Amino acid sequence: MSEFAKSLSISASALQAQSTRLRHVSENISNADTPGYRRKTVPFEAVRDLSADVEKVSVGPVRLDRSDLEQVYDPSHPLADDSGHYKGSNVDLMIEIADAREAQRSYEANLKMFEQGRQMSSSLMDLLRR
Amino acid sequence: MFKELNVFKIAYSMATHAGKRQALVAQNIANADTPGYNAKDIKPFKEVYAQRARPGDMIASRANHLNGGSGADMNWAVTEQRGGSDPNDNSVSLEAEILKGVEVKRQHDRALAIYKSSMKVLRASLGKN
Repeated sequence: MSEFAKSLSISASALQAQSTRLRHVSENISNADTPGYRRKTVPFEAVRDLSADVEKVSVGPVRLDRSDLEQVYDPSHPLADDSGHYKGSNVDLMIEIADAREAQRSYEANLKMFEQGRQMSSSLMDLLRR
Repeated sequence: MFKELNVFKIAYSMATHAGKRQALVAQNIANADTPGYNAKDIKPFKEVYAQRARPGDMIASRANHLNGGSGADMNWAVTEQRGGSDPNDNSVSLEAEILKGVEVKRQHDRALAIYKSSMKVLRASLGKN
């Protein structure tokens, strides 16, 4: 496996990981008002690909955030208990937006490296052309 | 001059160096959000080239012992930058890596330009253009 092929496959694995992360973030945001919803967290892991001797990125098992659910006061809600509270979700929109922004930034950086690796290998191929 | 075309060997090892470094930069950027990952790098081409195995410039018992590196006798050791400053113990700085990527691209372009123009000189000497 040539260095450029390695570089492209690493960048591709990272692009996939970042887009998976972005998908879970949008899942969290869309369920921000769902009662009893716990936000999902996506762990990244560096996995050594032995055939190419590179460390690719992969997404580990998705976990649920175990922090307490928000107590919302609304006595008219069907799920409300004796004190008039029901359990909302534990999604913090600020955290999710920041996470989405970080994922986007990393995605762009990886896209740039992918483009650069592609350019370098094509200019190498241009040597064969007269 | 034509017995040992050093300029091609040097251009070749320079491009090889750029390729290896590109793979490492891509790996670092890919793992910029992985907890516990340490940034990796190889030495700049100048240092790698200066430190290549040099058995002396006069006697050469084997073809690849002659001056000019073909890349096989060079030290491509990968170094790790430990001690991440991030809360998740990651030592990759995205800005530094992008900068390194630009450096790599320029080095690669330079090596290919040297190769191409040397090739032009050879062609010209053959009376073709």
